[in-house]
Amino acid sequence: MKQTFWKRWRITIMLVFAALGPGFITANVDNDAGGILTYSQAGAQYGYSLLWTMLPITIALIVVQEMCARMGAVTGKGLSDLIREEFGLRLTFIVMLLLIFVNFGNVMAEFSGIAGSLQLFHLTKYISVPVCAFLVWALVVKGDYKVVEKIFLFASVVYLAYIVAGVLGRPDWHEAMVQTIKLPPRSAWSDQEYLYMTIGVIGTTITPWMQFYLQSSIVEKGITVRQYKASRLDVIIGSIFTDIVAWFIVVVCAATLFTHGMRRIDQVADAAEAMRPIAGDYAFILFAAGLFNASLFAASILPLSTAYTVCEGMGFESGLDKTWKQAPFFYWFYTLLIVTGASVVLIPNFPLVRITILSQVLNGLLLPVIMYFMLRLINKRELMGDYVNSIWFNVIAWATALIVTVLSLVLVWRGVVQALQH
Amino acid sequence: MITDAMSRLTTLATSLSALIGRPVVAADGRRLGSVRELLVDPSVTGNCVAYMALAAPATVTAHTLPVVSVLDVLPSPKEPLRLRIGAGSSELNLPERVVFLEKDLLDQQIIDVHGHKVVRVNDVDLVWEAAHGQEDLWTLRIAEVEVGIRGAVRRLLKGLPRSTVETIAHRFQARVIPWEFVDLIDRDPSRRVRLKVEQDRLSHMHPSDIADILEELGPAERDAVFTSLNEELAAEALEEVDPKLQKALIESMDSERAAGIVEEMDPGAAADLLSELSDERSEAILGEMDPEERQEVEELLEFPGDWAAGRMTTDFVQVSATADVATAIEALRAFEGDTENVTEIYLVDEQNRLKGIVALANILLASSHTPLANVADSRLVSCALDASGKQVAELFDKYNLRSLPVLEEDHQIAGVIHAEHVIALLRAER
Repeated sequence: MKQTFWKRWRITIMLVFAALGPGFITANVDNDAGGILTYSQAGAQYGYSLLWTMLPITIALIVVQEMCARMGAVTGKGLSDLIREEFGLRLTFIVMLLLIFVNFGNVMAEFSGIAGSLQLFHLTKYISVPVCAFLVWALVVKGDYKVVEKIFLFASVVYLAYIVAGVLGRPDWHEAMVQTIKLPPRSAWSDQEYLYMTIGVIGTTITPWMQFYLQSSIVEKGITVRQYKASRLDVIIGSIFTDIVAWFIVVVCAATLFTHGMRRIDQVADAAEAMRPIAGDYAFILFAAGLFNASLFAASILPLSTAYTVCEGMGFESGLDKTWKQAPFFYWFYTLLIVTGASVVLIPNFPLVRITILSQVLNGLLLPVIMYFMLRLINKRELMGDYVNSIWFNVIAWATALIVTVLSLVLVWRGVVQALQH
Repeated sequence: MITDAMSRLTTLATSLSALIGRPVVAADGRRLGSVRELLVDPSVTGNCVAYMALAAPATVTAHTLPVVSVLDVLPSPKEPLRLRIGAGSSELNLPERVVFLEKDLLDQQIIDVHGHKVVRVNDVDLVWEAAHGQEDLWTLRIAEVEVGIRGAVRRLLKGLPRSTVETIAHRFQARVIPWEFVDLIDRDPSRRVRLKVEQDRLSHMHPSDIADILEELGPAERDAVFTSLNEELAAEALEEVDPKLQKALIESMDSERAAGIVEEMDPGAAADLLSELSDERSEAILGEMDPEERQEVEELLEFPGDWAAGRMTTDFVQVSATADVATAIEALRAFEGDTENVTEIYLVDEQNRLKGIVALANILLASSHTPLANVADSRLVSCALDASGKQVAELFDKYNLRSLPVLEEDHQIAGVIHAEHVIALLRAER
């Protein structure tokens, strides 16, 4: 037999690389336009006092992603497939509608990021957005988007810039560390904005669409229960990495914008200012490049993932290997999502940053709904066999869903009361 | 209600989604429950609903359910469903091979044997039928499965007045699969055998279509379908499936069954498959194979995959160069491999060296006593064991070949490459 030691070793390495992907990619996509702007705003507006969210969110993120990876490996089906099979058409339809609505907001956020980052180079959004929208569309529909994935992944190395900036900025390390562990005082919660930003930070880190994307990637890569341990590691590493970057973004903005009194980020340029004291003029280039890369990457993945999810759930033909005629809904939906998302951004005086952060808050509001379905599915012994949730996982996951639900309800309640009072 | 004078049947169309949740009332007005499930007993008849259950089966291993027999039900377009006088509900011991329409069919994936694909069920169209004049004895026949938008819309709008729902639903296209063309898949191994009811529809499909379907299914369903195929069909389907899936399918079965399937495969394809598996696994499978097939495959495994020798098959028809047409036909009859790919017969001398090639058509046209040398093509195109994929493809293109013999250094014929291998190679390179 020609199977030498080398060949077996090569297979192992390839297995690791094949499995190492979905979790890491999802994590990097986390730091897209929505992420960067939300974290920046969090640091600018509240200094270090939102840092305490990082640790619990990281744990919740690892748990949620691991559940999706596990479900994908054990059942071999995507999340929307499972929801359809176990909960029926009606519920699936409602969930898909919500998802489309929220994801549309996210698509807008990505194009906002593209517009904003290229504006730093004085390129008007009326050129950058249509060109990039077309580029993204063409790359996915006509080209090989797997190659695109890899290019973007390598370019994500730019995020390390934030860590470097963070270190160079000489923030108050002690204060930052303390705030990471200390829970905020009760009085903080009475600030509606604080609540808003907390949900935003949660929503931008544990994005619903990412869970669908992760599970689909696991299924597509054909990762089975046996190889799933490698995926679990990949998910954990990815989540930790993404939250470390998030932590540094908050810290950098806290150390620069907050301490110097700039509390609001109205334009992307303001966030770039955060880097200027440390990295000088390279700040713009680094920041713009990072934001552009992240937004373009997410803009290629997100609409596609949404199209797949909706088609799977509703039973339409889907797949890039099908022609337009074979899978009309899939292609039309995808195109529409990009076109409308990009068009909205082109509206004059569009409040890019505010809408972006709002889209992340919407993510946070949708999260408990998706988590409810995930938890019901993952605890079904018929479906998962021996791989149902352990008690601890259930505790963490249910607690997260509950906490976010409570926060969301309070936010919405207060918002309604405030609106009625005016 | 439609009274069809011609067929002397009165019919009333309905659907699974319309029936689920309807209250059931006895003749005296007593409420017995709501319809939660429709049961089909394939041992009695596979295309009619036998019972309506008043409780959903809690788990797959439920043994009894409260049901009403469909024969006792008097259909009506409006709620509730009334029973005949004297009929009531009873506790039914679930038959061995019962099919639950709501649980097993609704929203699940099924195989459309006619269209060769995997689809998801949105609704099931049912028809109440009664003999003309006997409108107190109805049967509920399963007409077709709705996989299109109309079924989806109907389900989404359930709860609104029926006429409104129907009007809106009829704006959309219906995509249906007649019940005869539906093949069910059951994930649960303990029930799998029982569902084999008339399941041989799948065996009439082309292996490549079966391969497509296998690729679309989730792992549990995939294994269920694959294990239901006989060895020959499984081997052919396996050859058409992509390598990653091949591996997954083989890994999930025991070595003995795997060996049985690998034996049925073309040796070249078998070698490719085994080289993808781990050493112990392929050893285990080879161990269970017949010595003859085993040797063929092992020989091919010696060659690197990108050599011509790594792509070829050792299944070909060879005859002595001095023989006549009749001998050639006998050799064809005795050939054990896949006859689909045989387009020519190879003439060899005593040392197995290639001397000539005879096209199958020429054999048909010649009379049986004609010496083969007379109808042979003396222009021999062949390649060496280590020819690259590119060289092989060039030869196929230049000489318009459908098969290419692969020769060893001393011109002994080692194997044959067919057009299908080259096409796959060219497409992969794109």
